[in-house]
Amino acid sequence: MKEKDKVAHRLALLTGVNLSTADLESIVEEIEDNDRVVAELEDFSHGNPWIASQIQPVGKKG
Amino acid sequence: MAHTDILELNLTDISKLIGSRELSSSEVVKATLTRLEFLEDKLNAFITVLPDQALTEARKADQEIASGHYRGPLHGVPVSIKDMFEMAGVLTTGGSKILAEWVPETDSTLVERLRAAGAIIVGKTNLDEFGHGGTSTLSHFGPVHNPWNVERIAGGSSGGSAAAVAARIGSLSYGTETGSSVRRPASYCGITGFKPTFGIISRHGSFRGAWSQDHVGLFARSVKDIALGLDAVAGYDARDPASVHQGPPAYASRLNTSVKGLRVGVLRRFLEGVDPQVGKAFDGALQVLVGLGSEVVDLDIPEVSYAAMTSMMTSSAESAGINRHWFRKHYDNFGPHVRRGLAVGMTITASEYLTVQRARHRIREALRAAFEKIDILASPTTSRVAPPLSEGLKGNGDDTRHASYNQSNLLRLPSMLGLPGCSIPCGINSEGLPIGLQLVGSWFADQTVLNTALAYQSSTDWHTRGPAMVRV
Repeated sequence: MKEKDKVAHRLALLTGVNLSTADLESIVEEIEDNDRVVAELEDFSHGNPWIASQIQPVGKKG
Repeated sequence: MAHTDILELNLTDISKLIGSRELSSSEVVKATLTRLEFLEDKLNAFITVLPDQALTEARKADQEIASGHYRGPLHGVPVSIKDMFEMAGVLTTGGSKILAEWVPETDSTLVERLRAAGAIIVGKTNLDEFGHGGTSTLSHFGPVHNPWNVERIAGGSSGGSAAAVAARIGSLSYGTETGSSVRRPASYCGITGFKPTFGIISRHGSFRGAWSQDHVGLFARSVKDIALGLDAVAGYDARDPASVHQGPPAYASRLNTSVKGLRVGVLRRFLEGVDPQVGKAFDGALQVLVGLGSEVVDLDIPEVSYAAMTSMMTSSAESAGINRHWFRKHYDNFGPHVRRGLAVGMTITASEYLTVQRARHRIREALRAAFEKIDILASPTTSRVAPPLSEGLKGNGDDTRHASYNQSNLLRLPSMLGLPGCSIPCGINSEGLPIGLQLVGSWFADQTVLNTALAYQSSTDWHTRGPAMVRV
């Protein structure tokens, strides 16, 4: 997917919100930054376990 | 006793004097309210002040104590709470226009426990909107000013609490922290701030910033005072899913100053870019701990270079999840910073959030291994002293979006991993602004953090210094 399309895809999640021009500029800038951050964290975390937490009620024993 | 003398007393001393009836709660509360009224125009540390309620409760506390019903160290002691905590019948705004007139019908667990301990809540402190920010300039009710220099920020998001304690408007305040919102303002305002291990203090009835990183924390002028404040509110609460089962809190009675053989870890690579005066004060603090018998262990944990970005992404996604409905309903009523942040968080996908949590897991495992070799991780709390208000949001100098050896990683690490951490004063720079020392322990090693901080405070007097405005 092209960078421009990626941003458009994400902005579609905000459909219905009346974003001002200033808000939109700031949001697009951060979205582009987030794409890079997620890619870096994906490389960093590769091969590590997916995080999981216990869901059993506290104090419940087998 | 004169008002000014009362206000110079710390919580430990006030508590003893009230308990022995050498000082009344009414006297202390009156002195606190007088100071608050005198300085509030300069600080803007409070959103709501409760003079009538506080004085009525103080009189009741005095009667209870006189009749032999002393409840403990917080009985009759004036405290403040960040305006993130619900308090029945009292305005609870979160620093937001959206809740500018909201009055809850029930108490948060924190307020319940403070009431049970007999504490007198004198007011609710100012903050960044719903805790989103590190400056306390993003409140619908205007910015908080730093008592050491009112042209400087107090730090955030619990800036009102930190400013109040620094200005001697009460000796104890409770705040919250998702990224660094207790330790940063404590550092900027020259006081002691402590955030316990995740789950030690219930968050029930407070606004959520990011559920897996939110903590309740405390501000006071000494570690002894923090321990007393912690004992009053720690403990399991089934209404907070993160709450942990724990024994009756006894942090104050277990305090000791022995740090002989304590292994103090330092990650020097993460001190790149730290202001030279801050770095010098930090080195001096390490020497104090070494002089007390601790050992400094230089180590490297490269995984920590991803801590700030992992924390920031987690916070962004969880905040958006929490505010999913309000985001659309109240978009225009959020401040620009918060609404833009929530919008960005709304665009983070579930698989991306889970990837970020996988990174978080890797950092956690690296810290778990590190805490086999050290007992405490020490660093400057912030890379510089409180920046000028005029520098705006970038003044904190944080770098949260790049894998790096920036000090922001050390600041955001404790909340991201749920580690206990504190900031204590360790110097004053050439402009007369305080410098903070951060001490972080392993999970549930809260007592070790408090003891280390106490050992330091027993050998230094930085924590007794105050801003010029309190000498008026």
